[in-house]
Amino acid sequence: METPVAPAAFEQHSGGTSTAAPVASASALFTAWARRHVVWIVIGALFAGMLVYVTVSKLQAPAETAVLSTRNPAPEGGMALAEILRRHGVTVTATDSLEATHAALAGSDHATLLLYDAHGFLEEEQLVGLAGAAGRVVLVAPRLRTLGALTQDIRPGGVVPEGTGTLEPGCGRADAQAAGPVSAGGFTYQGPELCYRTRPEGPGMVAGSRDGQLLVVGSTALLGNGLLDEEGNAALALRSLGTGQDLVWYTPGLGDIPAGNDAPTLDELAPPWLAFLGPWLSVVALLSMLWRGRRLGPLVFEPLPVVVKAAETAEGRARLYQDSRAVERAADNLRAGAMTRIARHFNLGAEADADAVVDAVSRRLGRPPQEIRTVLVDHRPQSEGQLVQWAQQIERLEEEATAR
Amino acid sequence: MAITGRFVLLAFAGLVPLLLFPGWPALLLLCGGLLVILVADLLLAASPRQLGLERRQPGNVALTGTAESVLTISNTGRRPLHALIRDAWQPSAGAANNVQLLDVPAGERRRMAVSLTPRRRGDLAAPHVTVRSFGPLRFAARQRTVPLPGTLRVLPPFHSKRHLPSKLRKLRELDGKAAVQIRGAGTEFDSLRDYVRGDDVRSIDWRATARRTAVVVRTWRPERDRRVVIVLDTSRTAAARIDNEPRLDTGIEAALLLAVLAERGGDRVDFLAFDRRVRARVESASKGKLLSELVQAMAPLEADLIELDWQQIPGQVRAVSAHRSLVVLLTTIDGGAPEEGLIPMVAQLSRLHVVVVASVRDPMLAEMKEERTTASQVFRAAAAERALLDREAVSAQLRQLGAEVVDAEPLELPPRLADTYIRLKAAGRL
Repeated sequence: METPVAPAAFEQHSGGTSTAAPVASASALFTAWARRHVVWIVIGALFAGMLVYVTVSKLQAPAETAVLSTRNPAPEGGMALAEILRRHGVTVTATDSLEATHAALAGSDHATLLLYDAHGFLEEEQLVGLAGAAGRVVLVAPRLRTLGALTQDIRPGGVVPEGTGTLEPGCGRADAQAAGPVSAGGFTYQGPELCYRTRPEGPGMVAGSRDGQLLVVGSTALLGNGLLDEEGNAALALRSLGTGQDLVWYTPGLGDIPAGNDAPTLDELAPPWLAFLGPWLSVVALLSMLWRGRRLGPLVFEPLPVVVKAAETAEGRARLYQDSRAVERAADNLRAGAMTRIARHFNLGAEADADAVVDAVSRRLGRPPQEIRTVLVDHRPQSEGQLVQWAQQIERLEEEATAR
Repeated sequence: MAITGRFVLLAFAGLVPLLLFPGWPALLLLCGGLLVILVADLLLAASPRQLGLERRQPGNVALTGTAESVLTISNTGRRPLHALIRDAWQPSAGAANNVQLLDVPAGERRRMAVSLTPRRRGDLAAPHVTVRSFGPLRFAARQRTVPLPGTLRVLPPFHSKRHLPSKLRKLRELDGKAAVQIRGAGTEFDSLRDYVRGDDVRSIDWRATARRTAVVVRTWRPERDRRVVIVLDTSRTAAARIDNEPRLDTGIEAALLLAVLAERGGDRVDFLAFDRRVRARVESASKGKLLSELVQAMAPLEADLIELDWQQIPGQVRAVSAHRSLVVLLTTIDGGAPEEGLIPMVAQLSRLHVVVVASVRDPMLAEMKEERTTASQVFRAAAAERALLDREAVSAQLRQLGAEVVDAEPLELPPRLADTYIRLKAAGRL
């Protein structure tokens, strides 16, 4: 906010005589301003970045994970099939609601409807309506309820036995003949026209009605991205679905469950005033924040003095000694300290040597000089343990010697 | 502007009509009502711009004392003022009641007294005063901050004052006012008087005795009108905290005791606080009010994190006194720095002057030296011994140069320095 004002103010002040200076001062002012508010700028940038990220990720179409969805690139998805059909001139319209499907079907004559209702969301009348609107219906792995609503001819016949690799066409349908063997899997059906039987005279994986308007494919894997390029899968799928100009690819969702007279929602149960309670309480909370948050004038600074701990250098040196295991150096210091104090106690003068000190101590304590000399002069501790022991020894000796 | 707790309560009470008649009309009505009340109360509040604020400066106070800062608030507006007033002293000023609720009728004035118990030496500031003027309904307030600088100078406490009587007694003993007479160098002939038992027979003046019938002795008094220059080091070493007191404050205590003592002893005292430039200076001309001038000069002193410029010290001392003087350096003789600065400077200074170097010794070192139970404690003891030996070496060097060294723990330093002064005076070395 300050930056746009600054150059103008400067020009007024300088009378506009210099051209370079206002620019320099503006950039300098901006730099100063930016330096002062660097924390807020960084926080603001982070916040803006997060906002952009969230917005973008929300705007992107969520990755589809549903089986046989035209936008699902996973092995069980149907994206490959839909794309191939599109490239060959078939208009593929993917829908996930009944209304959209009806609208798509109404837009063209004799459109093919691919219906994959894995959970059996659709009711009988909805299915009949759909079948009436569509030219041809391809049911993928239908449940009993779905199948029963559309035809009485075809009935479920179990599943393809485990371990079956491929199935031979074994029927007269042109599509099946052209495709040859396909990957086995999914459900089988009994009906008037059966292909890909699991056993002679047994149920088949692909079944057609007598009038040719209904085709049932028992396997979703056959149409999925993963197995489409194997055996004759692609040929069968493309020939089954690509006969017409239009294909409506309908995978019913939760929204297709017919709304009955369900239990009332929480919103309907709540009394009308409840909608105002929360917002007003937050208004009151905001007001109380303003009430408590308003400071009685700006803060007053306390210029704190510098504080340095005096013994810090000695402590640091102690840690250096310990880290480098300077046992000898430490012992020398302790010895020198004790000797100096003893010499001063006996008034031996500044030039007194170790012998004089040993003599004085041994005379005072009445102990042989050799013993005193061992402790005071000759002993050289080799380890930390010895150092501790000797340090206490020399301290005791000093105390005894200087005690009156 | 500011809102009050009462307004928040009012908004909370607004929940009742809102719940009884839920809907947008009630909400709008409620918001509008609250806004009207807020604006009306704000408009009816006495304007904080129509106030006359005056401050009576609290002046000086010793660190342990209590001062009073008085604000006078005069209401020049037409509406009565009901306001919360904050006299914004900095935290270490120890203001007990700096926020007060005050009623000032229109056209009148009221006083607001704030008692201050400072916790730090130095100049403590109160940059501004804030007035929060409430409306008649007490729902909202108008707030304004007026710059109104105030300063409280907190003087050093002079705890070492308690040593003064005993040291003065010692000084009087020198002065010939007490029974004991000392004759020696540096004393001047004062007067003749009759011999009383107990006098030193050596001080009998035979010539005067021959002229009279009674035995007459000479009395002596110590030399007077000598110059004492106290130099206080305010560089980085003065910031070191020893026994929970910065070295600077210990130095101030010692300097105060010495200055008062020397003044009573008839000497002229100059004070100088110095790091790279002069931080404070008190001239010897100010006789009689030396102590007050000293504490005034010392109050705002702070240790700076810079190195002392030793080379300037002789020049500074020369500027104060060209004659032979007692130069007291309140600094440190911790190992490391003195070899480069202090020792050469003392060598130079002691050719002309008597130099006393006073340094605070850390009692921590003595404690560290005693503890020898574990390995790390023994290493600490060794490090402490090394530090003490270094100090010892520096003070030996200084003594060799003819300087006196006073190396004592914080509480001991002022009396020890005073003793050194008395000893030097008695020996006539000033």
